[in-house]
Amino acid sequence: MSDVPVTVGAQTLPLTKREHTSSMLRWVATVDHKKIGIMYLVTSLIFFAAGGIEALLMRIQLAVPGNSFLSPNAYNQIFTMHGTTMIFLVAMPVLTGMANYLVPLMIGAKDVALPRMNALSLWLLVFGGLFLYFSFLAGGAPSAGWFSYAPLSEKAYSSSQGLDYYALGLFILGIGSIVAAINLIATIILFRAPGMSIRRLPLFVWMVLITQFLILLALPALNASLSMLLIDRLLNAHFFVTASGGSALLWQHFFWAFGHPEVYIVVLPAFGMISEVIPVFSGKVIYGYEFVAASTVAIAVLSFLVWAHHMFAVGMGHPIDTIFAIGSMLIAVPTGVKIFNWIATMWGGAIRFTTAMLFAVGFLVMFTIGGLSGVSFAAFPIDWQVTDTYYLVAHLHYVLFGGTIFAVSSGIYYWFPKITGRLLSEKFGKAHFWIMLVGFNLTFFDQHFLGIIGMPRRVFTYPNLPGWGTMNMISTIGAFIMGIAVMLFLWNILITLLQGEIAGDNPWNAWTLEWATTSPPPEENFELLPPIRSRRPLWDLAHPENPDWKHGR
Amino acid sequence: MDAENTIEQFAISDENRLAMILFVISEAVFFLFLIIAYVFFHGAEKTGPSAANSLNPWKTGAFTVALLSSSFTMWRAEKSYTRGQFHAFRNWLAATIALGAIFMFGQGREYLGLYRANVTVNRNLFGSSFFTLTGFHGLHVILGLIALLVLFALAFTRSERPRESAVRTIALYWHFVDWVWVVIFSLVYLWAVL
Amino acid sequence: MQNGSPFTPASTLAQPIAHLFVVVGMVMIAILLLVTALVLYASFRYRYRPGAREPHQEFGRRGLEIAWTVAPLILLVYIFTITVHAMHRADPEVSQNRLPDMLIVGHQWWWEARYLDSHVLAANEIHIPTGKLFLVRLESADVIHDWWVPQLGRKMDAVPGHPNLFWLEADAPGTYLGTCAEYCGAEHAWMRIRVIAEPQVAFEGWTAQQLAIPSTAAMSADAKDGEKLFQKLTCSNCHSVSGFTQDTGVGPNLTHIAGRETLAAGVRTNTPENLAKWLANPQAVKPESHMPNFQLTNEQVRYLTAYLETLQ
Repeated sequence: MSDVPVTVGAQTLPLTKREHTSSMLRWVATVDHKKIGIMYLVTSLIFFAAGGIEALLMRIQLAVPGNSFLSPNAYNQIFTMHGTTMIFLVAMPVLTGMANYLVPLMIGAKDVALPRMNALSLWLLVFGGLFLYFSFLAGGAPSAGWFSYAPLSEKAYSSSQGLDYYALGLFILGIGSIVAAINLIATIILFRAPGMSIRRLPLFVWMVLITQFLILLALPALNASLSMLLIDRLLNAHFFVTASGGSALLWQHFFWAFGHPEVYIVVLPAFGMISEVIPVFSGKVIYGYEFVAASTVAIAVLSFLVWAHHMFAVGMGHPIDTIFAIGSMLIAVPTGVKIFNWIATMWGGAIRFTTAMLFAVGFLVMFTIGGLSGVSFAAFPIDWQVTDTYYLVAHLHYVLFGGTIFAVSSGIYYWFPKITGRLLSEKFGKAHFWIMLVGFNLTFFDQHFLGIIGMPRRVFTYPNLPGWGTMNMISTIGAFIMGIAVMLFLWNILITLLQGEIAGDNPWNAWTLEWATTSPPPEENFELLPPIRSRRPLWDLAHPENPDWKHGR
Repeated sequence: MDAENTIEQFAISDENRLAMILFVISEAVFFLFLIIAYVFFHGAEKTGPSAANSLNPWKTGAFTVALLSSSFTMWRAEKSYTRGQFHAFRNWLAATIALGAIFMFGQGREYLGLYRANVTVNRNLFGSSFFTLTGFHGLHVILGLIALLVLFALAFTRSERPRESAVRTIALYWHFVDWVWVVIFSLVYLWAVL
Repeated sequence: MQNGSPFTPASTLAQPIAHLFVVVGMVMIAILLLVTALVLYASFRYRYRPGAREPHQEFGRRGLEIAWTVAPLILLVYIFTITVHAMHRADPEVSQNRLPDMLIVGHQWWWEARYLDSHVLAANEIHIPTGKLFLVRLESADVIHDWWVPQLGRKMDAVPGHPNLFWLEADAPGTYLGTCAEYCGAEHAWMRIRVIAEPQVAFEGWTAQQLAIPSTAAMSADAKDGEKLFQKLTCSNCHSVSGFTQDTGVGPNLTHIAGRETLAAGVRTNTPENLAKWLANPQAVKPESHMPNFQLTNEQVRYLTAYLETLQ
């Protein structure tokens, strides 16, 4: 594979000055987006371990009916923290971290627009996460579920301080997310290299851009709700205290006004990663860039119009139920047709099944399963039966794990060499993938049936009804297999950092700007930029007889 | 343009102002939800303190005029800065801070009066939603005043003079805070009277 | 005993949902098979072979992309149509002047049920006559709960401050299991529901029996002591026994506790041994339930159990 050639008439950037501060301080005090991105990733990995342990504890308790491994109170704290951790301390940070690291590189910039604010957003994440987890030591973690419905979340029914830590912790995390969103939007809009028009943005960058707007509009709704909850709990106000005229349903509307865009916040950047990985390992340009980009905008707009599909069983009345069903069915279309775009990209290609590609292909099927069960909920009489059951737990894990986490796994195997300069072991990677695929499906597929035969969610135990014990046991075994897969992943990272194969600038023969610099990149990212005349600058360089810009792309 | 391959940094002021615009958008959503809560609970209680029987739109209206005037003076300050008239800039900035402080003084008096009449955040739904909404607004005004004071202090130095980007960015925030108050005043004070 | 599922409907209300679920389910499975087949085919057919030519760079075809956007939309229009149809049949509109037949109140962690015409007061287990459509008014005394009996129809939230109406009907006699389906605190898992459907005559017999005050004539000495203890130890502050105490609504009515199939909303089957264990230490059986541990002596437990067992 040829290296990136030097273009004529290029200007060289000033070389970075050598830093004299110690290693630790350099990391803590850094405003460099690459170090900050890595710290985001490390933070999310640590919380992934915490959330995973919480999941395994839950699965042990549920392995057999009537188990007493965890008390009801302990179980309820753990399931609340599992959900809260995975959404706010794993999914969002890992995606923000990848965006932080990659976006400036992919648009040909030296850093983000506001480097100090970038550091602020990272440390707000770390502090917010620690603050939330401190609740375990302060009388108990929150135990009202990750969406803390009122009035259960009010002091009368949740007297420990757990929910105060929840509300304030998430408030801090929300500020961090908003700060990061402002930064990424400003970076993408203002700091693109010459030639990098909006229409030439890599799809990952495009999806990140749309996601940041979702964050900007959705997280304040959560922060407003959390403020009102805190004022209720600490100052005895009445917003959601039904006994004194407050409204339980107002909390739900407010929360889901945040909560629904939130699920797209944690899935769109994942779509972006898939949109980078599949073309590279199929050897073909993404099929239908414009449709994929436009459908993302459609999703973003629609995501603000479907929130009450989380409330179909609340008794809103048929007219309102119907309106939200329409929106929820509509939003399935732009989400679903991307799957066709990705398959069409593979079609006629020359597919190399690296670990990154395996996870991307696995994502295609896993996310389809999750998306389809989601459509079944939109046909809301079905929701009237299976919402708040294990059928729902299956759905959400298929989209969030089979979707987001599989895509993130793909992205990590793809970009790890760029970030660290070393290639993750393909041998361990493939083992990680196959064991994870088996474990994940073993854990969650039968939960569809468990919900259908009557098992509600968020229960610390269950009666010994036919099939419940068996299916729960299968699910628990699957969960431990997933744990093994994660261990393999961590092992892979460890041995690679110690003595992995050196990657070089562009080990995958990829086409976007991040591959036009060293692995890892220098402090200011690029010494030289290739000319940017299309969406695939490196393809153009390697194919002077058939560059993309000849096709007007 | 396509043949160039240098990385250009855009002028500093652009990203600060863009960042403030985006921040203001997110804050607008935050206030929107507090406003929705207030509107939702408006009139829900038949007895007890309410906007109609506890608030004085005239008094608060007077202080509102002060706040909105501070938006005008801030705009004059920006204009002066752009024209290089630093004395005028400092004076308009001082007027802005003074008017903002007058508004906060009025808010403080109002809160004190309500507290004395046992209208508190925990008294009833009106209390909860009123104090939360106006309280967060007041907090934003205070933060704005602090930023303006910093600008003002820097305006007296020669070496650390505030850059245009800083002036325009903070002005944007201040205008937002003022105009949010227009919405709040209308919904909380005027609507009660109508 | 099975819990039953939406796919084994036993009610004219659950049947339309089952039908909808089958149709939508088949569509979902078909799409999944299609996507999986395409992915697997592409993975094998188009895998990299050394020495092969670089693939043709296909940027997309507008016509195809429009087609595969419109096709799902059309499919969704169909699904929407059958959805609305099922909605009407599973959850018929309530006419203005139709009054509820039953009031069900969700509590942490038990279900209170009041028959509004006969004034029967039950807890966790209710009887209904087969074939009759009951209109239930669903409320909550504390936090949000959810009534869900899969074989009999939709679930409905019990929201404090926001009463809901739903229909309850069973086609055939039987015991239908259900549960609370909205996380409501520590013992959400043990808020089980039993709906016993029986022919009209049997239902009337049950109603009469529920309204009758249990006879005290044949009480044993232990049971008589238990009755005195029940009043002395302030049990009636929470638990009513018809004819003796007013219903405070704090804890389940116990007038006919001995006739129920389970205790404490399903956490134990109803036997004298389990009842004794419960009285000895409710917190050990159902931690965090609102019944405190009265630190009863073994003797007191024996008396109370004997008394409660007479309340058929």
